[in-house]
Amino acid sequence: MALPKRIIKETERLMAEPVPGISAVPHEDNLRYFDVHIHGPSQSPYEGGVFKLELFLPDDYPMTPPKIRFLTKIYHPNIDRLGRICLDVLKSNWSPALQIRTILLSIQALLGAPNPDDPLANDVAQRWKEDQNAAIETARQWTQEHAKP
Amino acid sequence: MKYGQWFKQRLKNDGFPPDWVDSAISYSQLKKCINKLTAELASVGLDAATLSKLLKHVEEYNTSTAAQDADDGSRSFEYILADNHANDASSKKPRTPFHPKLLFHVNESTGEILGANLDDKTRKNLQMLAVETGLTELRVFEEPDTDSIASSDSASCTSNKKAGYRTVEVPLTSDSEFFSTLATELSGLEQLQDREEKRMHNEIEGLGRQVARMTDPDRKSNRRLLAVWREIFQVYIESDIFFGHTESDHAAHNADKATERFQKFCNTIATQGLVDKIKKPEGLRALNTFMHINREILQGLRFGEINHTAMLKILKKFDKQTALGVKSSFPQRLEYPEFSEHLAKATCAELNNQILSSIPQLEDYSCPMCMELKWRPVRLRCGHTFCIRCLIVMQTDKQHNCPLCREKTVVDACSDNLDLELADFLKKWFPDEVKAKQKYNELMAGVDQYGEVYKERCVVM
Repeated sequence: MALPKRIIKETERLMAEPVPGISAVPHEDNLRYFDVHIHGPSQSPYEGGVFKLELFLPDDYPMTPPKIRFLTKIYHPNIDRLGRICLDVLKSNWSPALQIRTILLSIQALLGAPNPDDPLANDVAQRWKEDQNAAIETARQWTQEHAKP
Repeated sequence: MKYGQWFKQRLKNDGFPPDWVDSAISYSQLKKCINKLTAELASVGLDAATLSKLLKHVEEYNTSTAAQDADDGSRSFEYILADNHANDASSKKPRTPFHPKLLFHVNESTGEILGANLDDKTRKNLQMLAVETGLTELRVFEEPDTDSIASSDSASCTSNKKAGYRTVEVPLTSDSEFFSTLATELSGLEQLQDREEKRMHNEIEGLGRQVARMTDPDRKSNRRLLAVWREIFQVYIESDIFFGHTESDHAAHNADKATERFQKFCNTIATQGLVDKIKKPEGLRALNTFMHINREILQGLRFGEINHTAMLKILKKFDKQTALGVKSSFPQRLEYPEFSEHLAKATCAELNNQILSSIPQLEDYSCPMCMELKWRPVRLRCGHTFCIRCLIVMQTDKQHNCPLCREKTVVDACSDNLDLELADFLKKWFPDEVKAKQKYNELMAGVDQYGEVYKERCVVM
């Protein structure tokens, strides 16, 4: 099936004016599949890390949200061991007016503001609530270990 | 190369109009003034080293007494750029004349400077100065008795009085000359800017009318040209010549960057063959004028930049040679006219209003979902508009909320929501895009009804 104009336009803009700290490059053989890199926000435990993600645009995009998953291991209450992300705009609050660009920005923001009250990785969220400083330290260690550029 | 020489060369070789060059900051003349002033100060024993020591002392003294009354008149030494009372009249006269002077408060009997902890050499210099004042050309400024004026005048001069001390004033002639020259030149630059702005305004307005006429969608013959001009302006807007609009680049550009961007714009429209597509000489003339206006903005930007640097450099030199610390206080006294940025900003806004806006851009009328022209446009109850095709898909998919505001308005959209006025407008300004979208919508409606095979109907038959 031919690529919708919207996807072509979004891709062009992502290439021409990339968001600071975020890159998304489509695969040559499948223009609906993107390799994504997100830099950990400064003053967060993920600072200094570069996280790899995969992003796929389903056939009925933008009526359904893109499918996104972390490939780099990350210690975060809203991201589970398989890299799945708990973020409202990727699920119930998706709107067809949102874009790859805006979604990736939301994910970057989620790294800067973990939300243990709406957990996906229960053990991490539990620890985050009980001993936040220790949890943040672990997140920092994981970043050093797994997310080195 | 020295800045003075470089500045001179740029003024000469960068093709600025003669009246601009005449209004430029006269760097070398101001430099001579500084030399004269240094000689003047040296003749009364105040070389740069002495003065800076003195000023440093005053500063320390001020900080140490800041907790008490900040201005209790016990300062030993002051450098005054303009008379204090000038501040009161500032609303009426923004440019008060400069009468810079140095004030010393010295002990009447010993000639020793008030409360100063100076080393012997400086002290000696100043004592000499104070003792000599009666004899030399320097004026001794005797303050009137506190009693006689305290009641009539509450201005600052009374607070300077301290028993047993008198004030010595050293008027600085070359200093006055320096600042009055600089002030006059800055006013001159401001006037030049006003003149240029008016002239550019007329030029842009004229071009705006011309472009509007050439692209008037009511005339059939314009139809092809409209698309060409739209594309040129789209490239222009996307080139971000004078201002950036992305997350990583959102400020005004300096002359070098703007020139580079402008060059890129020229190359793009040339390589895309857009210039060749304007065949009529009238159109080419208009494009030329458009380019010319842009070059003028660039030149204004550059002219402002080198003048601004010239002013900062000359003030820096002034401080270095006299140690009077004027660089920080002068710009507050006399605002540098934001020549470059202001002119570029004003003219760009003008360009937008008068020319670019006369041709609607596709981006302003595209559907936030498919990112193509919103044809046919449907206005939801919440006020947001989308193309009919995307809304049909949403309704079929049971997505009921507006994609922009999440209000539940998609569900009850019907043919009453068609925005007929906008439809007429789109048909008039985007005839080609409307046609293409119409065809696509019809195809997709067929697919909805008969399934995917509908697309291949020609092949099947």
